[in-house]
This record gives sequence, C-alpha cells and structure tokens, in this order.
Amino acid sequence: MPLTETDFNFGRRDVLRLIGLGGAITFLPAGFARAAADVTAPEDRAVYISASAGNHDDFYVSAFNATGKILYEQPLPGRGHDIGLRPNHVDVAAVERRPGLYALILNRHTGEVRATLKSPEDRRFYGHSIYSNDGRYLYITENDFENARGVVSVWDAQNGYKRVAEFDSYGMGPHELHLLPDGESIAIANGGLKTHPDFDGRTPLNIDTMAPNLTVIDRKTGEKLYQTRLKDDWHKLSIRHIDVARDGTIATGFQYHGGLNDEVPLVGVWKPGKTDLHALEAPDNVQYRMRQYCGSVRFDASGSVFAISCPRGGVITFWDAHNHTFLTNIAAPDGCGLAATDRKGEFVGTSGLGDGWRMDALNRKREELPDDSLKSLKWDNHLRRIAI
Amino acid sequence: MPLLKTGPRRVLAGMIVTITTGLLAAPPAQADLPDEQYHDVIVHLLSNVMPPQLDALHTATSSLADDMPAFCKKPDQSGLDKMREGFHTAMDRWQEVQPWRMGPMMAEGRDQLIEYWPDKHGTAARQFRLLLRNKPPLYTNPEKIGEASAALQGFPALEEVLFNPKLADEILAASKDGAYLCQYGVAISANLEKLTGELVAEWPAFADAMMNAGPKSMDYPTSKFAATDLYRALHEGMLIIISQKLARPLGEGPDDANAKRAESWRSERSLRNISHNLKSLFAIYDGELNGAGESGKGMVALIGADSLLDKSFRLNWQQIRDASNALPDSMVAVLAKPDGYEKIQDLENQVAYGVMLVENDIGGHTELGGGFNALDGD
Repeated sequence: MPLTETDFNFGRRDVLRLIGLGGAITFLPAGFARAAADVTAPEDRAVYISASAGNHDDFYVSAFNATGKILYEQPLPGRGHDIGLRPNHVDVAAVERRPGLYALILNRHTGEVRATLKSPEDRRFYGHSIYSNDGRYLYITENDFENARGVVSVWDAQNGYKRVAEFDSYGMGPHELHLLPDGESIAIANGGLKTHPDFDGRTPLNIDTMAPNLTVIDRKTGEKLYQTRLKDDWHKLSIRHIDVARDGTIATGFQYHGGLNDEVPLVGVWKPGKTDLHALEAPDNVQYRMRQYCGSVRFDASGSVFAISCPRGGVITFWDAHNHTFLTNIAAPDGCGLAATDRKGEFVGTSGLGDGWRMDALNRKREELPDDSLKSLKWDNHLRRIAI
Repeated sequence: MPLLKTGPRRVLAGMIVTITTGLLAAPPAQADLPDEQYHDVIVHLLSNVMPPQLDALHTATSSLADDMPAFCKKPDQSGLDKMREGFHTAMDRWQEVQPWRMGPMMAEGRDQLIEYWPDKHGTAARQFRLLLRNKPPLYTNPEKIGEASAALQGFPALEEVLFNPKLADEILAASKDGAYLCQYGVAISANLEKLTGELVAEWPAFADAMMNAGPKSMDYPTSKFAATDLYRALHEGMLIIISQKLARPLGEGPDDANAKRAESWRSERSLRNISHNLKSLFAIYDGELNGAGESGKGMVALIGADSLLDKSFRLNWQQIRDASNALPDSMVAVLAKPDGYEKIQDLENQVAYGVMLVENDIGGHTELGGGFNALDGD
C-alpha cells in the first residue's frame, strides 16, 4: 500500500520537525542553555546537516545531532547536494545538484525556507556553494552550458540574495569551491566535464578531451591567481572535490573516467603559489578498493589529517596532510558524507544506506552513531558540521 | 527468434560503457537478507571454491619453472612444444583466477606482476627491445627478476620468449641471444611460481578476514559488505572482458580492428582466455569450479537456487557460453575472416547483455549492486 506508507512518512516527518524545534539547544531559555553548555562538550552540542533522500524520490535537507538523532527534515523540490554555511548567521544554502535549477536558503535550526534562488535560464547550478567570511556574499558554481564554460555566480545575502556578479571559473564543469585562509580568494575544482541540459545535464560529452584543473580566483574581481592541473596522461581524472586546511593546503579527490583497472592516483594535494599539484596513491590493496572514485574530502580540526570517502568501494581513506602519505582506511559501506569534529583525527561520516559513524583516523576506530532515527534516510554526498 | 535475442543486446552493448560512470539508477530495494546468508556464500566461495584453483595455478607455474631449465640446456622443437603446452596450461589456470580481483590478488600489485596487460603505451615492447640489446644480468636471475619492471616479469614476457617465432628460432639455434632469452624464460617461470605461491600462502588470512566480518572489523563491518567484493568481481570481470579484451581489439570499426591489441594474441589464445574467464565468473554465481565447491552454493544461494530467476539467469548465461564456445582460441584467426569482426562483436553484445542481467537479477536481488551514493554520486 504505497499511499498509506507515503502518508505515514509525511506525518512522521512533521513530528520530527517539531522535535527539531524543541531539540535545538539555542531555543531553550538562556539560563538553561548556559547551564547545559557548562556540562556538555562542544561536540555534544554540534549539529550535522546534509542533503538526504527517502525511498520514494523524496528529497530533504536534514539535520541530526552528535548522537545521530534527526532534528528536522526540510523537503526539497529535487535532490540536493552540499550545504553552504553562512558564518555567524542562521542561513545555510542548499543548492540543487547538477544540473540544478534552484537553491534554497534555510534556517539552520529549523530548516525553514528563508529565500529561494533560481538559476538563470542559460545557467545550471552545480551543487556546491560557499559564503564569504563576512557572510555578505554567496558563491555558487554553475555551468554556462551554451558556451561550455564554468562560472562562479555571486549573490548578495544582505540584499535579498540578489545575483550581483559572475566570474569565469577558468575550466569546464566547476564543482566544489572553497575559500582560502586569506578569505579573499576562492579555490575551484574544475572537473573538466562538458555537459548540456539537452543531454540530461549530467552525461559527460567530452571524455576524450576533458581537461580538469584547480583554479584560484580573487573573490572580488574574479581574476585568476593560480591554476594547476595533472599531467596529460591523467586528463581523465575529474578533479571534483576539495577542502582547504588553515595553512592553505588544498586536498583534492578525483573521479576517473577511464578503465576500471587502470593504475591512476585518486588523491592530490596542492599549495597554490608554493607547490605543484602532487598526486598521492594508497597501497595497492586499498587503492583498488577506492574504485576509481572519490566522493568527499575533509580536513580534520587540526589540519594534520584529511579524509577522502570512496562510496563505490565503501571505504574512507585517511591521509597525513603534512607528509602527504597514506595513513589508514576504514570500511564504510556506501559512505560518502564527511565532517570533521573538533577532535584531532576524528570525523563523522554518513552513508546512502542510512548509517552514521564516528571515525578516529589516528586509532583506526569506527563507531555507529547510537540514535536509530538516522537510518530512516539515505544520506547524500556531503555533510557539514555546525558548532553551536 | 534471432531479432529478440540479438537486437536488444546489440543496443545494450553501447550503453554498458556508461555503467562505469555510475549513471544507472539504483535497482529497487529488496527485503533485507540475513547477514548469515552472505556469510555462508563467502565461506563457500573463499574456502571451498577458490583455494583449489590457486593450488592448480601454482602447480602449473611450478611445472613451468621445473621444466624450463632442462629445456634451456638442450633446446629442441619438442622441448619448445612442451614448454608452450605448459604455458597454455598455466595460462588457463590463471585466466580462471584473474577475475577474482580481491585480497592477495591486488596486494603489492600482484595481478599486474603476474600479467601486465593491457599495455596501453607499449611499455613491454619498448623495454623488451632494450632488454635484447643490453642483456642485463638482472633478468636472467630468478632471485632478482622480481625487482624488474612489471612489464617484463610475468606471463606476457614469457609468452614473447616462447611464442615470438624469431625469438624461438634464436633459442632453438642456441645463439648468444637465444641462450640469454632462454635463461630469461627460466627466471620469469621461477618468478611466476613465486608470485602464485604467495597467492596460495596469503589467501587463507584474507578469507578469514572476510569470514570474520563484524562490527569490530575495520575492513568488513558486515558479511553483506564483504560479499560486495565477490559481486564486484563478477560485475567488473564482465566489464573488463567487454572494454579491454573485446572492445580494444575491435577498435572503432572493422577497418580499425587489430587482433594484436588483444590479450595473449602472440600465443593465439585471446578468446580462450575469455572462455576461462567466463567459466570462473559463473562459479561466483553458481558455486562450483573445476570440481571444487558445489553448484547452488555461490551467489545464487542469495536469490534462491532453482528459483525462476535462477533458471532464467542460467539460460541466459548459457547463451553467452555458447557464443564464446563457438569461436576458436585465436582472435587473430577470427578477425582474419570476412565475418570475423561480426562474430567477435556478437560475443561482446552477449557479454554486455550478461552485465545487465548481473546488475538487475543479481545486484538488485542480493542487494550487493551498490547503494545510493555508490550508484549515483556527483
């Protein structure tokens, strides 16, 4: 009886949203919140936020707490991807995955929709966004599909999220982007894939000629500051996901569009202006498990370890950010979303099978988050942590 | 009903390439199977079916390693024929092990050391020319050859020594080049014996780790997850047959076809390799290989042996085997014939159709086909 089940699901989700309102500690009376803060560690008060999906083509932005208890689920018109966090503000940006038509600005505590952004007719959103450190501007990667060109659009959060500028991304298929520590420049992973909405907007149309790169632009002028790429033999390695450490090191994960058993690196590190993009490989018996595909990249709180998830192989790999060497791997079936906790070497990961784990890269430990409510959803590619 | 059989298959073949890019939607979710069921399949395949195959491979390479030195002492045509036969026996066994891409097979790049192929940049040919010119002693030393280039220490290198007619003539003539080459063959054979011995030695610990899947394992948190290695071996094994063993030599069209891009073209056994691959891949499903294991205890146990789905899958698989068996060993010979291209393409289409069945019938019903993020990430 699919109808009954759907009805039940909506009812349950409404209830969850109400629980979410009461559950967020910022909604408690000030004195009580202070008292709670005195006895709980920061991680206990952290909120994790991610795009998610149900079993009936129903999509959400969902938040859960450190135990894995779902706080709210906000329905989306289509499948989301990453969540951009506005510093010191309730706003978060949920940009539809490529080829995206909408982005919703949500209240991080409740999921309530605060603004809706639409991609221009000749552009498509590519799922990732970031805010400037002052919270004023939102930057979104987009496809200018008629010109097969990547762009980064700029939206003024203080003026009703008006689209105010557009910069070249200096490559095709821009995907994840990230501020550098100076707060004034943006690193962009240009995946190199040409797509067009006439061909579903996702099918790669240029695998033989794809030329991915990593580019750093000035966030105010759009000027290209640095660019790097892999050697020509590796041009089918789509550079898709990045994270940036406090010292400016960029860790990046690739997705390979060549043969299943070709021997290619899947991870890279780059310090713009200091070093070339340096490719890293895991030991053979881990490398093959990565199945030519990285899903998400995240530095830990200390910046000394970064994690790269490989959902096709069901493994999270961990790397030494200083020595640029492989550290360890932890199995995580369909695991993709990654967020760093405030503890060195510790990450929270999520899976498309409904799992949530706390993982310790330094001691090679993995624990399931105890609350079962997490299991009611498929957790999408990316996870963010909000410290409260 | 030739149209119904081959028409849709031909259309599907082109689509298969997109599978590796993960564009297919997840199959409909099935009811959860108990983890013990996956455990039983793993135990059966890893401890009953596979070890005898590894033993047989090791026996075959040991026999090569034993016979090569005697042949080199007094090289003659009958000795060469015997060595070639020994190569074929070892290669048959290897092709039945090759699709099990997991554990010790992948550790230390062992699969590539045993057989460096496909060689996209012609590395082996280039290095082989240098080898003949410079005759470095490293390559005739069985203890040291493992330190040499992967392209020059496994089956393709031995194949070149034994089956390249010019080199074989040098060996039979016992010329200076011939003597060096024969000693090189001795070293490769010894190296293959060593590498396959490592497979035999390391397999039980790998099998134990898979069989002891559980929340405490950082490698296999559930038996179901461990079983994805087996499903993937089956799935990827078929994709590799299509994209590397068949599509590479077929090229862009009949004018572009080149049998020399096929695996083992020199020993004229490219299609025989595929036949042994298919036999081994079916064992992952069925549970029996060369008398080891038991039919019905492979992955089929998860979808129900003798179920309608099982019967249909077996019938469809038989068509793939029939297409493969109808061809001779040599792709060189088939492509030299006017209708050869079409025949190889027909096999490619049959295997491609098999991939669809594996994804839908097995991947869907065993829930091993991949999750939300694995199948449709970004």
